[in-house]
Amino acid sequence: MGKQEWRLILVLTVICVLSGGVLGWVNALTAPVIEEQRELAKQRALQKALPAATTFVEEEALPKELESLGLEGIVEVHRAYHDGEEKGYVFIVDQRGYAGPIRMAVGVTPLGNLSALTVIDQSETPGLGAKIKNDKFLKQPAFQEAQVGAELAVKKDRGEVDAIASATISSRAVVRGVNTALSAAQSLLEVETTSGGEGVD
Amino acid sequence: MTKWQIFKNGVFNENPTFRMVLGMCPTLAVTTAVVNGLGMGLATTLVLVGSNVIIALLRHLIPKEIRIPAYIVVIATFTTIIDKTMAATTPDLHGVLGIFIPLIVVNCIVLARAEAFASKHNVLDSTFDGLGMGIGFTLALTLLSFIREVVGTGTLLEATDFGFEGFHLFSDELGVKLLILPPGAFITLGLLLAGINWYVARKEEKAHE
Repeated sequence: MGKQEWRLILVLTVICVLSGGVLGWVNALTAPVIEEQRELAKQRALQKALPAATTFVEEEALPKELESLGLEGIVEVHRAYHDGEEKGYVFIVDQRGYAGPIRMAVGVTPLGNLSALTVIDQSETPGLGAKIKNDKFLKQPAFQEAQVGAELAVKKDRGEVDAIASATISSRAVVRGVNTALSAAQSLLEVETTSGGEGVD
Repeated sequence: MTKWQIFKNGVFNENPTFRMVLGMCPTLAVTTAVVNGLGMGLATTLVLVGSNVIIALLRHLIPKEIRIPAYIVVIATFTTIIDKTMAATTPDLHGVLGIFIPLIVVNCIVLARAEAFASKHNVLDSTFDGLGMGIGFTLALTLLSFIREVVGTGTLLEATDFGFEGFHLFSDELGVKLLILPPGAFITLGLLLAGINWYVARKEEKAHE
């Protein structure tokens, strides 16, 4: 190779090394902040899903009871407390929407009532499916009155949930997430009442 | 050309969207709501100005044969810096535009300005070119998303991610849903392009008479 070629290789290498160095430095600066922001956003979502609680303890692994149910999409289970008193569970659930996965947090009280739900992450069509994160949809009576044991469905499927106009697939995904969380809560709460009530050893 | 002319050139005469029809991917994808269009336009402007400045600075050092890979590395570096910085400082906006920010790398406006302008002009001129093109792009996206959001959903400036409900102009039942779906992007852009071409052609005709 001639001198000219070596020069090309050298210049491009220097540019790439410099760029790599700058990016490494930027990443070192921003990575901890980004992680912190993500953690904050999650705490906010947990708080929103179960306003009665103040501290949330994540289960190390998914409880055994849930595995046998074959529920799909449960990512995390958080036990919720306020002043040491159990306030229920918050489930972080992933369901497939129209454009991609929808991640939501669903809170369930110890009595088995749905507390609230909130959408953490979604990539649905803006202006259509993306409306699943609006209060108008999430705070409708069908969700607020939902209880353990119920199987919700959108009105198109002869259920009680008002779907978002022209976004049935996205609405169904949220309903599926709520149903998943409710069945998970049911099995967890049942275990508690049987082992706590009778004093089984 | 004066700095002002360079700036104006990017906004009007050579508007990247309406006159050069560049960067169609983000133009069609994000213009469903004014907030998204505006945010995308501003993020692109930042990358455009940054890459133009660096490339103008390096223009005598980069050999002609490897200029394209060198530009791509510079542009990708700037885009990643902005992506990371936005994720750390404005997580809400980053959540909305998240998937589109890395795509600025392949926005041909940025590479086109590096090749056509910044590699041949000094730093100051290149800054104004980046600003002009960026603002031109931002205005085009805002106009497009304004039409699509208002006619498609009946709201204006809806941004629930930032806790802002926007203005509800009419019931969303009356919105022309097609406009916020992908085909609506092509239709709206086509009509706008036709209108602007017609206007420019008429103006040129008058100038000839």
